[in-house]
Amino acid sequence: MHPQCPTHEHLSRRAMIKGTLATASGGLVMNWGGLTSAAGPVEEVKKRKKHCILLWMNGGASQFETFDMKPGRSTGGLFRPISTNVAGTQVCELMPKMAQKMDRIAVIRSMRTSEIDHPGGIYLMHTGYRPSATVRFPEVGAIVAKYHGTEQSDLPNFIKVSTQGDAGAGFLGPTYQPFGIGHRGDLPQFSTSQIKSDVELRRHNLRSFVESEFTRERANDPARMHREAYESARRLQGAQQAFKIDAEWEKHRELYGDSAFGRRCMLARRLVESGVPFIEVGQSSYDSHADNFSWHKGLVPPMEHAWAGLLTDLEQRGLLDDTLVVWTGEIGRTPRINNRAGRDHYVRNWSTALAGCGVKGGLVYGESDADGFDVKRDPVTEGDFFATIYQALGVDPTIENMAGSRPVPLAPFGAKVVESLLG
Amino acid sequence: MAVDLGKQKPKLHRQLAMAGPWPMAVAFLADGKLAAGDQDGRILIWDMAAAPSSPVAGSKSQSAPSSTPIRMLVGHTNGVSRLCASPDGRRLYSASLDHSIRVWNLDSATTGEAETIVEPQSEQDKKAKKPEPTVKVPTQEAEKVLAGHGDWVSALALSADGKRLISGDYGARVIVWDAATGAEVVRWSGLPWNWIFAVALTSDGGTALVSESRYKRDDFDVPAAAVRLWDATTGKEKLDLLKVQFPKYDPQAASYEASQTWRKYVSHGIIAAAFSPDDKTVALAVAGENDKGTAHLHDVATGKLLRDLGSHQYGMTDVAFSADGRYVLTTGRDTCLRVTNVADGKEALQLGAPRGGQFKDWFSACARSADERYLAAADIAGWVQVWATDAK
Repeated sequence: MHPQCPTHEHLSRRAMIKGTLATASGGLVMNWGGLTSAAGPVEEVKKRKKHCILLWMNGGASQFETFDMKPGRSTGGLFRPISTNVAGTQVCELMPKMAQKMDRIAVIRSMRTSEIDHPGGIYLMHTGYRPSATVRFPEVGAIVAKYHGTEQSDLPNFIKVSTQGDAGAGFLGPTYQPFGIGHRGDLPQFSTSQIKSDVELRRHNLRSFVESEFTRERANDPARMHREAYESARRLQGAQQAFKIDAEWEKHRELYGDSAFGRRCMLARRLVESGVPFIEVGQSSYDSHADNFSWHKGLVPPMEHAWAGLLTDLEQRGLLDDTLVVWTGEIGRTPRINNRAGRDHYVRNWSTALAGCGVKGGLVYGESDADGFDVKRDPVTEGDFFATIYQALGVDPTIENMAGSRPVPLAPFGAKVVESLLG
Repeated sequence: MAVDLGKQKPKLHRQLAMAGPWPMAVAFLADGKLAAGDQDGRILIWDMAAAPSSPVAGSKSQSAPSSTPIRMLVGHTNGVSRLCASPDGRRLYSASLDHSIRVWNLDSATTGEAETIVEPQSEQDKKAKKPEPTVKVPTQEAEKVLAGHGDWVSALALSADGKRLISGDYGARVIVWDAATGAEVVRWSGLPWNWIFAVALTSDGGTALVSESRYKRDDFDVPAAAVRLWDATTGKEKLDLLKVQFPKYDPQAASYEASQTWRKYVSHGIIAAAFSPDDKTVALAVAGENDKGTAHLHDVATGKLLRDLGSHQYGMTDVAFSADGRYVLTTGRDTCLRVTNVADGKEALQLGAPRGGQFKDWFSACARSADERYLAAADIAGWVQVWATDAK
């Protein structure tokens, strides 16, 4: 080995063995990693690290049509509150399944964030930082991938399923870039090799040799990144089974609800079982400037069914204690109903929710005023929100990474962990 | 005497104040009375012959007088979505988001009195933070509550002979009722996940038109739409208008790709439907903010699209035929009530004018009195606009 080349620039022994195995078996015996779903791997996962599933409500779900209802007020809207399994706590009638999971989640009714529109809000609620011309902040998924990910894992450490956000790994670099997959949860077509495995291996070996020779005297980042990208793509070939969910979906369709979002949530659980530290699952179309009530009546029921199913499934498999489930979008929606039966963007007071990984269930944190215009008690900023997420995941939010010569903490300076949310 | 609605020059006769939640439904009753229901479940009744009240001080949107409601129908606990009056105008049927249908006998005596907000508050009083003005209105409770739906009852229609009532909800359930007894005749379900947006019955109540679709569950999770004619006695499907329009369309294949086909025709939903008085054609009002809402006119026997009628920017909200079947009345999100000639599709009348900025307040529903002396539109700005025609 060349003294200037770090270990990870070379074909690892593990990958070589697995590649050889794949060749020897004609591609039938693949590199499963931790893919089997029996109790054994669960224990293995538990022994390992924390996980995070981000349920992303793209466009900004309304707090009034989910967790912070204002019945009888002019801002209240058409839906009615229902009781939950936590005495004294009510949620929107659109969420009967989650109403029975309130003892497992903590709701924050006092979010106050600083980006009112979608691009900025998406960036903010993925990174904890406002967009900056000088620093490319990493998404929470990249940070979790860095601190809880496994190098040389067969599956990517940061997976996005039908979701938004383009901050990616930011200054953390391409190692932690998200791997995006489509709305059905299938792997992109480009990720499946169309050539025979023995040919693939021959090509890989040749490419590795050429790259090794090339980098022997040129140990630079682009060459390393190129090589890593090829390597992770090759490893993914062996882990495709994780994304083949049709058979398991038939068994769990009822639990998650028969919806595209339900499928994505089940895939997320499967990926957690397989050791992926961060999965983001998106649902689209909450930007209800018109027909807010129809949009939410269409979107919330399949979402909440899937979310409740996910919590049940994680809990039954013993994964919820080590998996943080975050529910948020980029913005909330206005208290005032406009003349298109819509609600516009609002960030002065809105709601998010957390579950698992030591988050106290049954808790409603913060309070909005009578009509939902402002935070009445315990405001939570985006910085506080992300600091709390990192803390729950066992990562010190004050850890600094270098963006060039500038140290940048995981959560912005001044952010406070909302300790009362954590057990 | 038959009235040629298209040749009338209706004048704004009343702007009946209904401040608070949006008025969503309107219907004419017997003896020159009118009912309107709002998003809170309140139903108010006015008498066209009642003394006009003074306009609200400083109001820029009031150009005709209001009057005090003579009755308030109480019982619904969520928005009123549709109102239908019996042919003699003495019974009212109301559909609500509280999952119920209520039947009101308007000959019954009132049972109480309640204070309610009717007039909008003047800007001066708003600035002075005075409490909103209320009026005392006699109240009445429903004669009957029809329970059978498990979700928002979004669609309601009565046959012209007054014998059958049909309703549909957001759980895809359709129920045909005996209007006199409130007994169920038949019920059926639409496609999975769908919402029943519109229903209509032929004059004898024998055939039903049901429109169903829903807002998406995700960009790539879009259940199929359907617009079908049904036997309203047996609950058997008679004709699928979407299949006639798009022969290759398979409503069982709910998918994003399929939605690209029916979206062109259904847009955000066929929000209202009405059979012509001779039952030969049916008009379907297209909703959806992204479109210029039109009404599709179909031949009932063949299901073929005959022509499109009318145009409301950002979509229609309601449709009705004139008594002679020569015109359709439509309301929409452009703050207009339009009367369109069925024969040639040309607009004969435009009542109201688009107002506001890029997006207008809506007229959420329309109605005509049986004698066509009055036309009315429920206006989300908090009014029921009533025009008087030249009919005697």
